Amino acid sequence: MSNPVRVALAVILFASPILAQLTTEQKQANLASFETVWTTIRDKHWETNPGGLDWQAIHAEYRPRVEAAASTEAARGIMREMIGRLKQTHFAICPAAVYQVLDADGSGDGWPGFDARVLDGRVIVTEVHQPQSNIKTGWEILQSNGADLAALVAKLQTDPAIHELQLERAVAARLSGQVGAVRSMVFEDQNNARVPLDVKLIPPRGEFSGFGNLPPQPVWFESKRLGNTGYIRFNIFLDLVHVMQQFGDAVQQCAHCDGMVIDLRGNPGGIGAMAMGMAGWLVKQTGERLGVMYMRGATLNFFINPRAEAFEGPVAVLVDGSSASTSEIFAGGLKDLGRARIFGTRTAAAALPSVITRLPNSDGFQYAVANYISQGGKALEGNGVVPDVEVKLTREALLAGHDPVVDAALDWIRKQKVSQ
Amino acid sequence: MTILTRLTVLGALAGTFAAAQPLPKAETILDRYSEVTGGKAAYQKHTQQTMTGTISFPAQGLGGKLTRYATAPDQEYSALELGPIGKIESGFTNGVAWEKSSILGPRLKTGDERDQAAREALFDSQVGWRKIFPKAETIGSESVNGEDCYKVLLTPPSGKPETRFYSKKSGLLLKSTTTAVSPMGEVAVEVEVSDYKNFDGILFPTHSKSKMGAQQMDMLITGVSFDQPAPAGTFDLPPEIKTLVDKAAAK
Repeated sequence: MSNPVRVALAVILFASPILAQLTTEQKQANLASFETVWTTIRDKHWETNPGGLDWQAIHAEYRPRVEAAASTEAARGIMREMIGRLKQTHFAICPAAVYQVLDADGSGDGWPGFDARVLDGRVIVTEVHQPQSNIKTGWEILQSNGADLAALVAKLQTDPAIHELQLERAVAARLSGQVGAVRSMVFEDQNNARVPLDVKLIPPRGEFSGFGNLPPQPVWFESKRLGNTGYIRFNIFLDLVHVMQQFGDAVQQCAHCDGMVIDLRGNPGGIGAMAMGMAGWLVKQTGERLGVMYMRGATLNFFINPRAEAFEGPVAVLVDGSSASTSEIFAGGLKDLGRARIFGTRTAAAALPSVITRLPNSDGFQYAVANYISQGGKALEGNGVVPDVEVKLTREALLAGHDPVVDAALDWIRKQKVSQ
Repeated sequence: MTILTRLTVLGALAGTFAAAQPLPKAETILDRYSEVTGGKAAYQKHTQQTMTGTISFPAQGLGGKLTRYATAPDQEYSALELGPIGKIESGFTNGVAWEKSSILGPRLKTGDERDQAAREALFDSQVGWRKIFPKAETIGSESVNGEDCYKVLLTPPSGKPETRFYSKKSGLLLKSTTTAVSPMGEVAVEVEVSDYKNFDGILFPTHSKSKMGAQQMDMLITGVSFDQPAPAGTFDLPPEIKTLVDKAAAK
């Protein structure tokens, strides 16, 4: 998910709509935006009858409503209703205000030096990257700059349209800001005591990398050994050249490992083709594929080109509700091929490749251009990847210094070695 | 019969008459293309070619540089440096078609994909089109961007046929359509070419717009030179490819 979309989510959810009388130019811009949205879906959707709908009839139904809309917010609402009829993710309209807010406060790339996830409705620190920090893994974040995070999560969770990935993004936005800015946070420690701390935001982890029109995003990659098992984690499928090199190096350095754990929890996806390339380091058999992508006028196999040095031991892939898109293609394909065992919780079920553009009325428009069917024959969209072993991260385990999902994967790899 | 009906019938007959005009043979059209772009002698004067250009995918905001070396009779090496995707290399040497990229690593092309690469590597493919397309037929007329063209269907011994559109007026190639074959699947490709420029006596289209499914790609040729030796080792198989060749031979 790109930065504008991420920010859009927060604004859509929390900004109070500002209603104002439309000028003739604004009305025309809204109408032109409607035409852009409708025409784009007609021409770019992978089905000639998008979503099985009579798209021409949709035009006849919605255009008069946009013409009659009294405000840009109302026009946007009608357009959202129209694209909602597709019942597919990766179709969204982000208010222009999103971009204005982005420009106005800069939003910023600063982060608090720790990762946080929503576990059982509470925002929990899952990893601390600043050793000198007083903050500990497993602490709950109660407030950030006065905002009650549990209440925020509770409010978002009442909306069935908000999935875990979006929830995590909304929370992350509350914890980030300009580099150097200070966030007043209140934590609950391991003894359930309130700990107020001023947290100075630091530059994000990793190096910024973009991809064409996609705004640059911080990308990091880590690999290490957990006993004699390789462990690989990266935050996004971007920075293709470096990440592919690092992935290949990590696999080759682990040629004699008992197994390999690839942790895609919280990974929102990115460049789809990277899933194919990475699978080539894990699959020895030729002629295999992760799945098939269906676009208008083309059907593309996510084929696997096995590397000469491909790893042949057991592979565990860790996922959760924030593992989306390319993460799902990778995990789902390897699961379907019987090459990896999946641990964690069901993925985001949001796997459609999409494009983001700006509309004549300055709103942002995200639209999907393809459908994707995993090798097992199921669409990932709406279904996600269901783990072989369902296991959740908990605050209690984190406070005790454990990651139960990693533990379950390592336990399975140990058993594989014993059975061999 | 009313005047209107009579005119309609006359019009239909005129149409029939026009349609009945014999189309030129495909070999005439293809040989004419060789002639108008330089002639047999100009083509056969050279044994090596270097081409440079830029490539862009406007919708994605991606762009890069392309370099291609070719030498007679049929060796070829191309390198595409595409920003965040990295370098994609491909080649055809001594019958081996290969590709190497940051994403997928090294691989050998086989089957129809290999045969397609072999056809593209043939140095004198303009003059010697008969070597790669044993069957060529003119299948009609069609307009390309307002210009009347002959539509020629070229069928190779194996793999997908190619349809080319040659201007009736100038004899120049304006468009081609085919199906690109790779392990990723079969994708219909349409390429429109324009802006012919003279490089050492041979006309080359310097601008091409390609459509592959929903993807669009623009390519601009910035330079073509002849008979300057390619850097040493250009056509050698990369070590990773050689390993794959040896492995395949051992099977």
